[in-house]
Amino acid sequence: MQSDYMSAWDISKGIAEKKFSAVEIVESHIKRIKERDGEIGAFLTLCEDEALAQAREVDEKISGGRPVGRLAGVPAAIKDNMCTDGIRTTCASKMLEDFIPPYNATVVERLLDEDAVIIGKTNMDEFAMGSSTENSAFRITKNPRDITRVPGGSSGGSAAAVAADMVPVTLGSDTGGSIRQPAAFCGVVGLKPTYGLVSRYGLIAFGSSLDQIGPFSKTVLDSALMLEAIQGKDERDSTSYRGEYQKSYTDSLGKDIKGMRIAVPKEFFMDGLDDEIAASVQESIKCFEGLGAKVDEISLPAAGDGLSAYYIISSAEASSNLARYDGIRYGYRAKDYTNIDELMEMSRSEAFGTEVKRRIMLGTYALSSGYYDEYYNRAQKFRKVLKGQFEDVFRSYDLILGPTSPVLPFKIGERNSDPLQMYLADVYTIIVNLVGVPAISIPCGRSTEGLPVGLQLIGPHYGELRILQAAHAFEQEIKLEL
Amino acid sequence: MKISREDVAYIAKLAKLRFSDEELDRLTREFETILTHFHSIDRMDLENVDLDKVPVDQQSVVRSDEKTVFEDKKKLFNNAKSMRETYIQVPKIIE
Amino acid sequence: MNFETVIGLEIHAELYTKSKIFCGCSTKFASKPNENTCPVCIGLPGTLPVLNEEVVRLAVKAGTALNCRINNVNKLDRKNYFYPDLPKAYQISQYDLPMCSGGHVEFECEERHVRVRINRIHIEEDAGKLIHLEEEPFSLIDYNRTGIPLIEIVSEPDIRSPLEAVTYLRILKSILEYGEISDCRMEQGSLRCDANISVRPVGQKEYGTKVELKNINSFRELQKALEKEEKRQIELYRFGEGHKIVQETRRWDSGKGRTVPMRSKGEAHDYRYFPEPDLMPVIIKESTVDEIRGSLPEMPYEKAARFVEEYRLGEGEAEILVGDKKLSEFFESTIREGASPKAAANWVLGELLRIMNEADLSSADITMKPAYLHRLISLVESGTISNTAAKEVFKEMFESGGTPEDIVEKKGLSQISSKKDLEILVKKVLEDNPKSVEDYRNGKTQAAGYLVGQVMKASQGKANPQMVRDLLMREL
Ligand SMILES: [Zn+2]
Repeated sequence: MQSDYMSAWDISKGIAEKKFSAVEIVESHIKRIKERDGEIGAFLTLCEDEALAQAREVDEKISGGRPVGRLAGVPAAIKDNMCTDGIRTTCASKMLEDFIPPYNATVVERLLDEDAVIIGKTNMDEFAMGSSTENSAFRITKNPRDITRVPGGSSGGSAAAVAADMVPVTLGSDTGGSIRQPAAFCGVVGLKPTYGLVSRYGLIAFGSSLDQIGPFSKTVLDSALMLEAIQGKDERDSTSYRGEYQKSYTDSLGKDIKGMRIAVPKEFFMDGLDDEIAASVQESIKCFEGLGAKVDEISLPAAGDGLSAYYIISSAEASSNLARYDGIRYGYRAKDYTNIDELMEMSRSEAFGTEVKRRIMLGTYALSSGYYDEYYNRAQKFRKVLKGQFEDVFRSYDLILGPTSPVLPFKIGERNSDPLQMYLADVYTIIVNLVGVPAISIPCGRSTEGLPVGLQLIGPHYGELRILQAAHAFEQEIKLEL
Repeated sequence: MKISREDVAYIAKLAKLRFSDEELDRLTREFETILTHFHSIDRMDLENVDLDKVPVDQQSVVRSDEKTVFEDKKKLFNNAKSMRETYIQVPKIIE
Repeated sequence: MNFETVIGLEIHAELYTKSKIFCGCSTKFASKPNENTCPVCIGLPGTLPVLNEEVVRLAVKAGTALNCRINNVNKLDRKNYFYPDLPKAYQISQYDLPMCSGGHVEFECEERHVRVRINRIHIEEDAGKLIHLEEEPFSLIDYNRTGIPLIEIVSEPDIRSPLEAVTYLRILKSILEYGEISDCRMEQGSLRCDANISVRPVGQKEYGTKVELKNINSFRELQKALEKEEKRQIELYRFGEGHKIVQETRRWDSGKGRTVPMRSKGEAHDYRYFPEPDLMPVIIKESTVDEIRGSLPEMPYEKAARFVEEYRLGEGEAEILVGDKKLSEFFESTIREGASPKAAANWVLGELLRIMNEADLSSADITMKPAYLHRLISLVESGTISNTAAKEVFKEMFESGGTPEDIVEKKGLSQISSKKDLEILVKKVLEDNPKSVEDYRNGKTQAAGYLVGQVMKASQGKANPQMVRDLLMREL
């Protein structure tokens, strides 16, 4: 599979230098998708005509000697919860099966501004709720490393598309690990930026205070390149970061990481962690020490307790965010009803899947009168305490290191009967969203069965550059062939 | 953590979702498990955490009072099931 | 047993902004259905709100005008409920940290000094409009109003009669108008009022069970609705059926002239408020509050005092004038054009109000120019037209907006004030009525009145009556 792979970096350089045309690149990638996606199931929508038209525009710009963006001609795929003007955006839900947004998400606009080519929309867990992409209303996505296993979730389609070399870069969204966990499962790089660094405008909301868009790629360099393209202040998103942005990440990769201080919380290595993952992470620590980093074991006492606080907050926000799907203005409408109340109730009950309904119920419960203080409010207080603990660590350390997921990619159908078991797969990633800091997952090894293991590097707020530098140094050092 | 099926049925009404009796039972059990797990944070002292405290340097995020127009109304209402002239038409709502 | 009525009002006023509270759509009234909409205000998936800074300014302005404390840090919350006029199925409002708290309004009403405390003022977004088709199984939705900024002003239960409630609402309305906070067009729904009312035996400390009245669209309806509900509750208590008063929401049916319970659908009501995660807290610097307070225009009570002082108006007159901002502005402009305050007040409080009331018009509908009223007053003072004729001219001016001179000319209303012309008329009448002249000279003074009448008749009513009288006396 590796033979035909080209990174986004190489594609944009090659096109700018007229080594090949954007149309050639897009055509070859569409061909690959058509060959491979029948087996993998990463895509929900392929925009062949639109993509070719865009590619032609890029080629015209180049032949006309006009300047092109930093992603000129790079085929990119987008998780199907980001709005694309005139292109079906479903959130992998029966509810939005026919929904065609009349506007582009800010990230889509930014990719187009950089002359990237949007080649399709990728599969996901319905409304981004899940850790295996099995909650899609439309199809199962398979892990390209082992097609009997899940690709992780909720951005499973975006991770699988990159892992199978169908596109060099994709966008995912991460509310509790939905970029990093599938990146770990599929053996690719996945970056969740700081909350606020990338605009959420046009991202169909799940947990508004946790959601963040980020890239998938095969290399750290490509993720850095994507971040440069999509980050930035957006007047349409009130939570968008108002401060100064790092202008370039790609320029500063390759710098050595001697003297970097890395903290490893002992709470990340308690029960539930797969032995092979633990071993692989320990190896990685040695590698970082070899690169000149100073690694210490520390304690992050609240880290182990984040899971239920996360489920309370994300479900509460989701219960409100998903209330607009009532069959009135857009989306699925039930066939049988006797009045408008029943129309809303039946439409919602018929179109939402089990996991979505479960979270709406949990969130509604947590916000209902008499329970608000006990659940939602306490969860927010816990979040504030957790933030304080992270800030303390980052006063003495540059990065926090640990496993991305406690488990290896599991078999399709293996875990979806017990929600709490499924939720536990997110234990190391959700705390990062609660705190709002950036984190990356990069491949760090393989299990005896050949399954990928992901390493998570967490930085302080707006510490993306540090994360990318460390990840890049590590990637260059271990040269993992998956 | 004890939750009754009636509680869950009431929540379903609030959330405008309809469930079978078996589904309600299953949800009740799941809620108990998840919320019991949540009580693991009971040992933490959260009483003195002030959620409304805003960092001193924080500023309001606002836009200026300027008009903008979304031109393509046809596209805007493209997803509506039915329109009458420029209204969205829905089955009768009884007040 | 005597009963005391306890009333509190919740007033919603649309704020006077160009664009909506969370998007750039226009707030203009009466546009085509769904004309003022965009992905944000119709709640399309993925959209986010951004707060209009003018909304904050106007709410702070209202707070300072109503003696409130401004909460320097406040936040927006989501109020969750399903209804087809609410596109996101939640309303962005303020729950436990409103923009302003603890103000008051004071006034005199039927010998009582009333001080109505204001509990809070918060900002929120309006919902859309539903139209129910009579003959067809459909309803229609217009989202133009969705996202229009509102303030809700919540009073404490300090009002003791329907008349006090109306007076409070009038004062509040004029303050909002003076501050250019809201245009307060009740007939267009830009000012709306819900009332909480209960009764209790005089002397009892605890409040009775309160009932909320909704759908009140004018001062008259507010008074009528409260009087009806007051009567209903007192009667139930009198006949020992006080238990039949339940805490409920009743809708005022202006057609039937009574309140009717709103269908509760046996529905669970739990708004599940929580902080709006898509918006940051609102932070208002003390310097901003001071600046807004300093820029507050003259308030109605200040203007009334000035009118009494500067124009020597009676307190009652001044109050009527300032109670209607546009009317008071019309009055002052007329004076600025050169009219005497006395004459201007007579016309505005007399003819103008009478015509407006008859035609059920508001001061916003006045198209007549203040300069024209001044010129009309001059025509009367110079004797060019009679008072009676002036009223006719005024009515025409109000309706057509024409100049007084043109109307006088067109209708031939000017008086004959030329001495020469009048002398001819007088002489002719004296010649034609020797009997009356004789009578007068013999001491029958009432004969003079008859002769004046004859002159007026001969002039077709256009003679200046005072001059006619003077000339006659001289000739006799
Ligand atoms: Zn709008």
